[in-house]
Amino acid sequence: MTPDKKTLVHMYETMNKIRMFEKKLQDFFAAGEIPGFVHLYLGEEAVATGACSALTDKDKITSTHRGHGHLLAKGGDLKLMMAEIFGRKTGYCLGKGGSMHIADLDLGILGANGIVGGGGPLATGAAFASKYSKADTVTVCFFGDGASNQGTTQESLNLASAWKLPLVFVNENNGYGISCPQCKSMAVTDIADRAAAYDMPGVVVDGNDVLAVFEAVSEAVKRARNGEGPSLIECKTYRWRGHFEGDACTYRCQEELDEWMGKDPIPRFEAKLVESGAVSKKEAAAIQDRIAKEIEEAVTFAKQSPFPDPSELLDNVYA
Amino acid sequence: MSIAGILANPASGKDIRRLVAHGSVFDNQEKVRMTRRLILGMERGGVERIVYMPDAYGVVERALSAISPAIPVTPLETPMRNTQQDTTTAAEIMETLGVACMVVLGGDGTSRAACKGTVNVPILPLSTGTNNVFPFMGEATIAGLAAGVTASGKLPIEQCCVQVCMFDILRNQEVIDIALVDAAVYDDVFMASRAVWRLDKVPQLFLTRCRADSIGLSAIGGQLRSIRPEEPRGLALELGEPADASVTAAIAPGMFATVGVRGVKEMLPDEIHPIHTAPGMIAVDGEREVDIHRGDAMAIRLNTAGPKVVDVRRVMDLSRKRGLFVR
Repeated sequence: MTPDKKTLVHMYETMNKIRMFEKKLQDFFAAGEIPGFVHLYLGEEAVATGACSALTDKDKITSTHRGHGHLLAKGGDLKLMMAEIFGRKTGYCLGKGGSMHIADLDLGILGANGIVGGGGPLATGAAFASKYSKADTVTVCFFGDGASNQGTTQESLNLASAWKLPLVFVNENNGYGISCPQCKSMAVTDIADRAAAYDMPGVVVDGNDVLAVFEAVSEAVKRARNGEGPSLIECKTYRWRGHFEGDACTYRCQEELDEWMGKDPIPRFEAKLVESGAVSKKEAAAIQDRIAKEIEEAVTFAKQSPFPDPSELLDNVYA
Repeated sequence: MSIAGILANPASGKDIRRLVAHGSVFDNQEKVRMTRRLILGMERGGVERIVYMPDAYGVVERALSAISPAIPVTPLETPMRNTQQDTTTAAEIMETLGVACMVVLGGDGTSRAACKGTVNVPILPLSTGTNNVFPFMGEATIAGLAAGVTASGKLPIEQCCVQVCMFDILRNQEVIDIALVDAAVYDDVFMASRAVWRLDKVPQLFLTRCRADSIGLSAIGGQLRSIRPEEPRGLALELGEPADASVTAAIAPGMFATVGVRGVKEMLPDEIHPIHTAPGMIAVDGEREVDIHRGDAMAIRLNTAGPKVVDVRRVMDLSRKRGLFVR
């Protein structure tokens, strides 16, 4: 199922937005201008974009510690995100959450998450709420290969299937749980194999092909809306940067990185868009220029915003 | 020394057809169990050595962890890229090593990847799923036995095999790819999830074989003609409206489609059948794979010099007649 031209162009915009946002963060983190940790999504843009393009505004997502891509793909505001990551009062969490706690309930973004495997139970709860209240919304749970080994994820898969919840588990398998290669921590090569244990469909797609992700998630969303229960989509992809900014990446080789960078999802998609006539090369360049400008505006907004006042330290703290 | 080969694809059986249709789930553990039975059958069939394609999951290594064959079972020295190319490269190497029969565990796509490497080594394709046409659907023990007998030279090779037709995919008169069962022209440039289930996107369909009891795209032709794999003819269908006939066929497990057929033409060997869509893609053996760029002169040609496929039933019948397993 190929989406219409408008959706194709939106996908291209979104992937570029994520790419430029993350590159900007990479630079500012290296310059010491960003507090805390950031886990960049560079290289994985097709997964968030393809999956979120299959959702409506009312549908929900749960994210991970590597969440900027998910949030932007679901419609997160560039300025509010940038301000939050810069620790400014104008940010999504008033500058006190940082990279790993951004949420926007109005957009169905139930939050990035600092806990590996923390999104599964939240997504299961949201999907249960949808079914219980007959809300006709679907939840997508993004999780990594490391999270797939957590009990929370397996418990979520089990309950979601037992209760036939409108939930799509989108696994981003980038091959490494922090510094541990998958082959050292998992007896299977395909996380999708685990779906059979929970009586749900499990498929593997090329996570660097935005339309492969879109097609699979669209079909899983359709299944979920029809009351047929959850699905597990495993997207094979790769993170270009370390687990976190500052990670020396001594656990992987340059050849491997080069091979995956050769599968960059953005030029692959752009070439096909141009060939299909959905955009011209000139239009593609104009889109990139516009997004670059939006990112610069977001940076300016963030930098000009104040830090939270120390007197606000305990505001909005509930536990 | 007689040598048999194993090419087991750990990536087969996990595509989107588990979502859009009701395809069987075939996990790697089951491939490991099949491989155990296959090796035991090969050894009993009389082959003296087995070589195999290494893979990231370690299908054969894991199989060997629970059995102790008396013959050497060794990996090929080949780079692992975890792509279809691994299978093609491994098949090429097997030919150079003098492998006399190679068993391919996978589906139509994996078999095609092996045949891209060589069509000179007898192939025994063993199905790891229910959505396949080319491979043998049967018990791995017996497939192993047949492969072992074939590779050991106990029977004349020409009596063990059937040489089947395949398609050459041509770009500007050059062969750029092959298809074993079907080549579907796809009116879209995006590869996406590769599988083909939207037939309104398929204006032309070419079949090397078809049967009424088949599954997949060849099932469409199977409702119109019956063509055996070794027959020197194929079928070219034009799909869409206005149609002369409307055909209902099982195009995937649990999935039926009704499609308009505007034209039916038998294909003869070496005839050039032009493709009328550009840009677009050609789905070979069920997967969008080959790009059609604007300005390309793309065509399909039936080639009778396809792979030599081991006929398990025929091998076992011949074995019985010669008393290979009777004392």
